[in-house]
Amino acid sequence: MAQGVYDKYYNSSYDRKALPMIRFCLLATVATFASFTAQAGSLTLFASGEDLATEGFNAPKLTKDGWALEFNRITATFDQITAWQTDPPFMAEGPEISGVALPFDGPFTVDLVDADDADRVALATVDAPAGHFNALSWALVPGDDGFSLVLEGIARKDGQEVSFTLRSTDSVAHACGEYLGDARKGFVTEGGEADLEITLHLDHLFGRADKAEDDEMNLEAIGFEPFAAGGEFELSLEGLHLGHVGEGHCYDFAH
Amino acid sequence: MTSHTRLAALAICAAGCFTPLVALSHAALIEAETAQAVRLHAFYDTGEPMSHAQVIIYAPDNPVSAWGQGVTDRDGRLEFVLGPETGRWSFQVRQSGHGAMVHVEVGDDAPVVTATSSAQSWGQRLVMVALVGWGALGTALFALARRKGRDASA
Repeated sequence: MAQGVYDKYYNSSYDRKALPMIRFCLLATVATFASFTAQAGSLTLFASGEDLATEGFNAPKLTKDGWALEFNRITATFDQITAWQTDPPFMAEGPEISGVALPFDGPFTVDLVDADDADRVALATVDAPAGHFNALSWALVPGDDGFSLVLEGIARKDGQEVSFTLRSTDSVAHACGEYLGDARKGFVTEGGEADLEITLHLDHLFGRADKAEDDEMNLEAIGFEPFAAGGEFELSLEGLHLGHVGEGHCYDFAH
Repeated sequence: MTSHTRLAALAICAAGCFTPLVALSHAALIEAETAQAVRLHAFYDTGEPMSHAQVIIYAPDNPVSAWGQGVTDRDGRLEFVLGPETGRWSFQVRQSGHGAMVHVEVGDDAPVVTATSSAQSWGQRLVMVALVGWGALGTALFALARRKGRDASA
């Protein structure tokens, strides 16, 4: 395109004295676009079920009712994902987030058991403006199979072994604040790479034997005993608050 | 060095010029300086404290790397002195796989500030951060001249 413009002017009756000026303009244009490119970094979004997904529930981290769980697959479908730069920081106290929005294409259906060494599965990487992405909105939605979340595996307790499949058709939207973990995340710098993470806390579903019985999480968690007969079960996600950003909380609501 | 510090130092130097050497040789100086301090209180909506929770502090000029860290006591409290940087200080409190982040804007004339962070529904984590002992008192210097030497020479 730039060469075409160059030829047009060069071959026409246009005064050749203007050539240096045209060349300068073209170079300036290229430099400007290069500058814009350099100002952008990238933001990669991951999903994780943590080690409870990849390694299962093993002693002492059994379910709250003493079952060991091994998962063959945990498929989840995520959609309507937007990373946000918010100021003042969004504190996950309601469904509305305002700020600089960076949408991700979706939906993404992933198996959280088939994860990397950090128990994460990459969903997408997008170009991003510099700044701190300190909020994330996303939804757990039914995938092509009609289920938003499917947990399939084997449960063991006291010599008993059962196969199970838990499936949910629920749609749950999440408005999350800043990722919380060993390191802060979401800082995009010029030419740099940053990442964020959607985290499903499976212990909110099954509870944890290594925590107190009266721990708020164990009081609300279903545990595995209702599924101990094995087979397929429909699962309601209402009130479980599985969705997090690392250890950071989300405001979730039926979608 | 603040203007209070300069004034106090000047006063001490001036006093030294008019004090007998024998007395000065036995002088002890105790420097006490007030500073901007933060009191953090982390607890659940049930009132139960977040005991022994990890606290990581991020300064305004470097929000990526931890400026400092500590652990709450059994009452869920932690007190510490902030650096001189003005702007948004962030405090991350984590315990048992859950956390909360609160932010406090600190300016030159910052009043006592309280911030809260909460989580939805059960087991809400509340973190309150308050600035206390804001450095309005400046610097105090106390010159304690023991009179032993002077008495001996008397």
